[in-house]
Amino acid sequence: MTSNVITSPLAIRRNPKLAWREIDGEIVIISPEDSRVHELNETAGLFWREADGKRSLEEIARLLADAYDVPLETIRADVEELVADLAEKNLLLVADGRGDQ
Amino acid sequence: MSSTPVMDRLIRRTVQLSLPLNVHFDLTYRCNERCVHCYLDHEDHGELTTSEVLSVLDQLAGAGTLFLTFSGGEIFLRKDLFEILEYARRLGFDLSLKTNALLVDASRAEKLRELGVRRVQVSIYSAEPAVHDAVTKVKGSLERSIAAIRSLKRQGLQVKIACPLMKQNLASYGGVVNLAEDLGVPYVIDMTITPKMDGDTSTLSLRTSGSDLLPIIQSRSCSNRSSAPDALSSAGAPQGSVVSSGVEISAYDDLTCSAGHNSCYISPYGDIYPCVQMPLPTGNLRRQQFQEIWRDSGEMKRIRAIRESQLHVCSTCEIRQFCERCPGLAMMEGGDLMGPYERACELAELSARQAGVANPVSAWHRRPEGALPGVIPAGKVAAAHART
Repeated sequence: MTSNVITSPLAIRRNPKLAWREIDGEIVIISPEDSRVHELNETAGLFWREADGKRSLEEIARLLADAYDVPLETIRADVEELVADLAEKNLLLVADGRGDQ
Repeated sequence: MSSTPVMDRLIRRTVQLSLPLNVHFDLTYRCNERCVHCYLDHEDHGELTTSEVLSVLDQLAGAGTLFLTFSGGEIFLRKDLFEILEYARRLGFDLSLKTNALLVDASRAEKLRELGVRRVQVSIYSAEPAVHDAVTKVKGSLERSIAAIRSLKRQGLQVKIACPLMKQNLASYGGVVNLAEDLGVPYVIDMTITPKMDGDTSTLSLRTSGSDLLPIIQSRSCSNRSSAPDALSSAGAPQGSVVSSGVEISAYDDLTCSAGHNSCYISPYGDIYPCVQMPLPTGNLRRQQFQEIWRDSGEMKRIRAIRESQLHVCSTCEIRQFCERCPGLAMMEGGDLMGPYERACELAELSARQAGVANPVSAWHRRPEGALPGVIPAGKVAAAHART
């Protein structure tokens, strides 16, 4: 696989104030601030489970590429779009490096 | 009541799979008020320790519980409450609290927000201090509870007023509605005064008569539900109340309620019941794991097997659609989980009449006296409710 790295952002983690649970294989998330409930599809759910603040976005993209047996380049665009969407909804915290945001 | 498609699917799935989506966990029965209608024994008979509570939370998270309500008694009497909340936050629960809020100040309200507590329900019995304080038997309690509501609101928490109606505060109904509007919070008027958990029915004498409740039933803004949206919505979907009971959701179809299907109750002593209003012992967390009780308890399975269409009398009732029958109250007041009970029939008839049904009579009231199968005398109910 290519060694190209997603340049920005690198470090991500789930917003620690959220309530979430995997129920029957699907991720359900509730934001206490606006009481909105979100449901993630299978791919987004796999991403969510790994977004623990310990892995970089690049590492998670590689995990997904392996899990679905697709080229890394193919999955990067989807992952970046997903990160942007989750970050906009304040479900995901994003920083420019590893560690605490 | 509306629900969102996401919540509807979630409830449907958890009912089909018997997953404990909602858990009501009373952390203590101790209380700093002495409400005249309370169904609890406030003595501490051996509450779960901090480590026991945290272990239960681990088990609930593992079992799939998402919505967790901490209640009591008064939860702020537990010195380890914030430790418990912090642990629950780390486990990803959606957190709600029920409290009289006497011990909630600005600093504690801020801490609750920081811990991601989503909803706080505060009991208010009247907007008049003399009436409210006479119910709680604590002078100054109304003033303190209202101050706490303001502190919680300032932190952006969702606050709801709960007002159980009884003889003592029936005339206060309108004042509570106005107070809720002034505070900018939704409210729920609760017409249910229950027997005590040990089966003692003395609290029932505080109930208002059905005819006294008629003006409130007539008020479309009440009907035992919050008038303002108690919102939990999916992104982009209409706002709507979803979590409070969910019994209107079609997923429950032929079920009598959610108890034992995707919700249950845990007492401060580790007893698990299908619901706080259904004190039917199914197991104890000091002796068994949660999943063992939830999945394998004979009583839990028995509750799960009950279908609306099997109810002895109510399944044939022509005004069933107007009835808010509660299986737990049917057990405590009528002696039979599957039977009718007087209060539900009375209120259903009033509601049906209000809706324009001519001379509504419940199926129970149509039956010849003494012809009710399966009902045991009320005096024997207490033995059936004894805690494990």
